[in-house]
Amino acid sequence: MQQYVTLKIDNARVKAVKGASVLDAAMASGLCIPHLCYVPVLKASGACRLCIVEVVDNGRTKITASCTLNAEDGMVIYSNTERIRKLRKNIAELLVAQAPNSRAVQDIAVRCGVKEVRYPFRNDNCIQCGRCVSYCTEYSKANSLGFVGRGKNRHVEYPLGFRRDLCKKCGFCTEYCPMSVTPCGGPMKAGEGRLCGNCDSQIAAMEHFSGICVRCELGKGFKCVRQTYV
Amino acid sequence: MHKLKSLNNLDSLRKKLLAERKRARATIVICGGTGCQASKSPEVIAAIKKEITGQEMEKKVHVRATGCHGFCEQGPIMVIEPGNLFYCHVKAKDAKEIVAKTVKNGEVIERLLYTDPVSGKKVRTEAEIPFYRAQDRQLLNHNRSVDPCAIEDYIAIGGYAALAKTIAGIEPEAVISEIKASGLRGRGGAGFPTGRKWAECAEAPGDEKYVVCNADEGDPGAYMDRCLLEANPHLILEGMMIGAWAIGAFTGYIYVRNEYPLAVQHARIAVEQARKLGLLGENILGSSFSFDVEVARGGGAFVCGESTALMASLEGKVGEPRAKDIHTVKDGLWHKPTVLNNVETWANVPSIILNGAKWFAAKGTKNSKGTKIFALTGQVKNTGLVEVAMGTPLNKVIFDIGGGSKNGKAIKAVQTGGPSGGCLPVGKFALPVDFDTLNEAGAMMGSGGMVVMDEGTCMVDMAKYFLNFLQDESCGKCIPCRVGVDRMLEIITDIAEGRGSREQIALLEELADTVSATSLCALGKTAPNPVLSTLRYFPEEYAAHVDHKKCPAGVCKALISYSIQSDKCNGCGSCLRACPHDAIYGRKKKVHIIDEKKCLRCGICVGECKFAAITVS
Repeated sequence: MQQYVTLKIDNARVKAVKGASVLDAAMASGLCIPHLCYVPVLKASGACRLCIVEVVDNGRTKITASCTLNAEDGMVIYSNTERIRKLRKNIAELLVAQAPNSRAVQDIAVRCGVKEVRYPFRNDNCIQCGRCVSYCTEYSKANSLGFVGRGKNRHVEYPLGFRRDLCKKCGFCTEYCPMSVTPCGGPMKAGEGRLCGNCDSQIAAMEHFSGICVRCELGKGFKCVRQTYV
Repeated sequence: MHKLKSLNNLDSLRKKLLAERKRARATIVICGGTGCQASKSPEVIAAIKKEITGQEMEKKVHVRATGCHGFCEQGPIMVIEPGNLFYCHVKAKDAKEIVAKTVKNGEVIERLLYTDPVSGKKVRTEAEIPFYRAQDRQLLNHNRSVDPCAIEDYIAIGGYAALAKTIAGIEPEAVISEIKASGLRGRGGAGFPTGRKWAECAEAPGDEKYVVCNADEGDPGAYMDRCLLEANPHLILEGMMIGAWAIGAFTGYIYVRNEYPLAVQHARIAVEQARKLGLLGENILGSSFSFDVEVARGGGAFVCGESTALMASLEGKVGEPRAKDIHTVKDGLWHKPTVLNNVETWANVPSIILNGAKWFAAKGTKNSKGTKIFALTGQVKNTGLVEVAMGTPLNKVIFDIGGGSKNGKAIKAVQTGGPSGGCLPVGKFALPVDFDTLNEAGAMMGSGGMVVMDEGTCMVDMAKYFLNFLQDESCGKCIPCRVGVDRMLEIITDIAEGRGSREQIALLEELADTVSATSLCALGKTAPNPVLSTLRYFPEEYAAHVDHKKCPAGVCKALISYSIQSDKCNGCGSCLRACPHDAIYGRKKKVHIIDEKKCLRCGICVGECKFAAITVS
């Protein structure tokens, strides 16, 4: 028999399947916690840290990613406090400065309240969310993509740098990539410190209805569960 | 040697060894630790052995090559027993004189004695040296009496007695409550109560459990764990065996940094010897307890010292941390309950079991018990490994043991806890070293690195150095650590190169807070500490860099310039010849001039000038 746990997310009582993550539980009940590296069918890695929440445990609050946090009975979660919003905005700002030419990343940044980018743009494109790698290893079982290197030099690569033949050509890596699916029409110029014009309407919406779900490109492309609720 | 089949076997072996040892008349102890090896102690050991054989004194004199004694700066170190005569900076060519004079006739060779830099007097024994006198060497004092490659030495000094006591009749629960009562906290950095960790792991469901020793020490300037594992590997093995008994593990791993070849070698030899004696393997000492240890070499990354990354690396995967919302005591190595402790933590276990929790808890402060080893480095007179009781003020460590400033410049700060620790200014030197006080002050105990800095160190440059290190060593998995630390480095580089602004300092602070709050593992969470602590204690240095575009310590190259004082320069030309960039002009016997445009601010000319005519501004 299916077992359930009940927890509180942003003061709402939420019922979740035992073993589900807090992010799963929140999304299933229509509470959207912004996220990027997480894909519902795959194992969560906790790499992008956008889905951070506050967990109250014995009167102490701890900040952790909700995608890797197992939902447990009686848990108390806050996903939208002032502190969380500020931290999330800072992370989104780092992301968008790294890959300003992705609509998906821009949308997420807007969703998290970024209006200005205080860092010089880098146009690295790949933000190493790891969606392609997890899909390739976990779902397609091709093991054709993986991370190579450490720190700044970490990048996605074929095994040994040349074993392209392992690729099963399922194409999901491109489909799951926030860069390749949705390149931005108006690339941002370095130093302008403002997201491109396409996002203006969304920024306006965010200002009026904070906490609203921006119908981001990421969600559209990947059939986000949010679609049903917006 | 035969396999030990019972507790009595171990006892009688120890008695036999002690009786044998009484017969040897003199012992020459030579340090063979990594520090002394670098100052050519293997040559000294070979020369002494040759000399002893040459004079046919093998039966009378015992030569023991041990691990680190701690005072690495004075290496190679030699101690001659009985009498505990302490010789330093010994060279191979001294061997003949030492054997002929000191060993045969008991004469003291004045030249090889240690000179106290404060009083200028010659000192004869270790106990009289201020560096050793002010310490409390509970763990390190064994190093002198043990050859790391000889299990007999360890047994002779009472080794494996704690294991025997445990097997003979301490229930696992009792072991855990003893460790809990002792108040031992993890020596790897975070200071988690060891007893609680063991208890949680013992309670965790599952028959297969593991104990792991974390010897992947990678902090710049820290080498406590290296020294312990190199010098006394059996002590760590014994600690792990007791831990395994307590939690019910059958397998243990020692994860040693691959860049520590001597530690790997000694750990392997120790495991091999313990297996031969039946101290590892099936039915240890005739009991029902079975346990074995494997030595694994590290993956070559700083982050592999983080518990979950270490476990991933042990499993043969990429050494990247994973979320720790379920603790490793429940879901650790191969998803089995695992106890992971630092080398120093394991090393403390046998003595707690042998002497009791009360004995251990007698030293230290309210919440930090026992002693802690620090690697004292930087601008102090005496550098090396220092063991003090918890609660010892920083002042005592830096000034009494370290002997104060090395080159006359005033000491400005101390960096504790390695790259993820923080800087404390002189005003905080009265603070006692314990986990909580250091944390509150914005630094941390860390694994125990202690880098002393004087007026010649720029705090912005220091923070930049550590950020650069962490940016290199970040695994790159999570965004705040990979991108955030990199952006912090970008900002601090701007500040150090004179492009900084006040807003950037505010941004740096905000970013540091974000990185420490949201990173996946402890590396990222503590990465901003050097920045945060220097911003907190040395805001005036940041202000000087940003507002006046000046580096007060004269370190940041973009903000300084070298010039030659015309009244002091006599035109000797040594700076001109030394300058690798041809940036100095001048005719013989005439005042020389530095060409600002060509000068790359390497500072070589300053060292070459004998008349102190070149100044930094």
